[in-house]
Amino acid sequence: MIFRKFILILLCMSPAISAATVPEFTIEIHDHLFFPSTLVVPADTKVKLIIINKDPTPEEFESYELNREKVIMGGARAVIFIGPLKSGDYPFFGEFNPKTAQGVIRAQH
Amino acid sequence: MVDAILLILREVLEAALIITMLLVMSRKLSIAFNWIVIALALGMLSSWLLACYAYAIADAFDGTGQEWINALLYFSVILSFIVIASIIAPLLFNTPSHVQYLPLTNESIKPYRKLIFCAVFAVGLSLAREVAEIWIYVGGFLHDPNLLQSALIGGAIGVGIGTSLGVITYYLLVFISARAFLNILFVFLVLLCGGLSMQIARQLLQIGILDSATPLWDTSSIINEHSWLGELLYALIGYDSSPNAIQVIFYWVAVMPLLLILLWNGYRRNRTSI
Repeated sequence: MIFRKFILILLCMSPAISAATVPEFTIEIHDHLFFPSTLVVPADTKVKLIIINKDPTPEEFESYELNREKVIMGGARAVIFIGPLKSGDYPFFGEFNPKTAQGVIRAQH
Repeated sequence: MVDAILLILREVLEAALIITMLLVMSRKLSIAFNWIVIALALGMLSSWLLACYAYAIADAFDGTGQEWINALLYFSVILSFIVIASIIAPLLFNTPSHVQYLPLTNESIKPYRKLIFCAVFAVGLSLAREVAEIWIYVGGFLHDPNLLQSALIGGAIGVGIGTSLGVITYYLLVFISARAFLNILFVFLVLLCGGLSMQIARQLLQIGILDSATPLWDTSSIINEHSWLGELLYALIGYDSSPNAIQVIFYWVAVMPLLLILLWNGYRRNRTSI
């Protein structure tokens, strides 16, 4: 039983296997706002988020609900994997501009 | 300005607590404080380098460089804490309960040079990651003097609050007995090692090296990370209201060596007292 769990963990650690069929979604940052501000993703599926910061200033993508946090430099792009998520809304925000940079990931079937 | 205060306070809080605990440890073991100057210099220099090369780091390893660097920094701090815990563990059992400070000549703290080295390493590397984010944040306002001034004032207030909390904690702890403090320090090291190892798991989940699963539990209805207590616990011990199974495994992998060190020293103490 322990051996099977160990093999499962090793398999989970193989990015080549797990990244092969992961759907991709893009979020852009303009003028300290997220576009789209509501992104619908499939529930119960691992998802690859590509975040493109079109502002010249840095931003930090952060979400307590998604348990994610990443600095994205001005004019740069970042990749974040999320999920599999249960159906529901998962708010995120830009920590460097929290008043304007707000968004939601909506996981649904 | 309020945003700047909150952001910078969040960043400095954990480092302020680590610095405070290690300074009190230094005082209790009669070790001179000059190591903190080297630690702060190491923290400032390494954070500045991380901020300067932020683009290159972010692009490295197929866009996963930031997470790998963070994981490496967390791992190094955990190792430093485990070594510190292994050095202070015998003192938990040998120190008389009424003693407030231990002399440096005490046989038990012979490896104090290793202790200082680990303290410098832990503080320097904790500051590296947190302060790099502050450099990047403030650097984003360089084009606008008004915003820059507001961010700098907010930042100064945030650092001031963090430092004040550290000073208050220092004076609350420095007057208790050495034994009581060392017990508190050991618990603190256990909690922090666990929290930091969960952060390593989070970095690996974020870049898809590990796969997420349904959270094992959800305590957000009791302590939400958006609340002030949740924010405080998140900053101090890496509190996570809905951790994945893999994060909990990482937690215990980091905490086990500390518990084994404690059990081993307790066993040795019992054997010698028979």
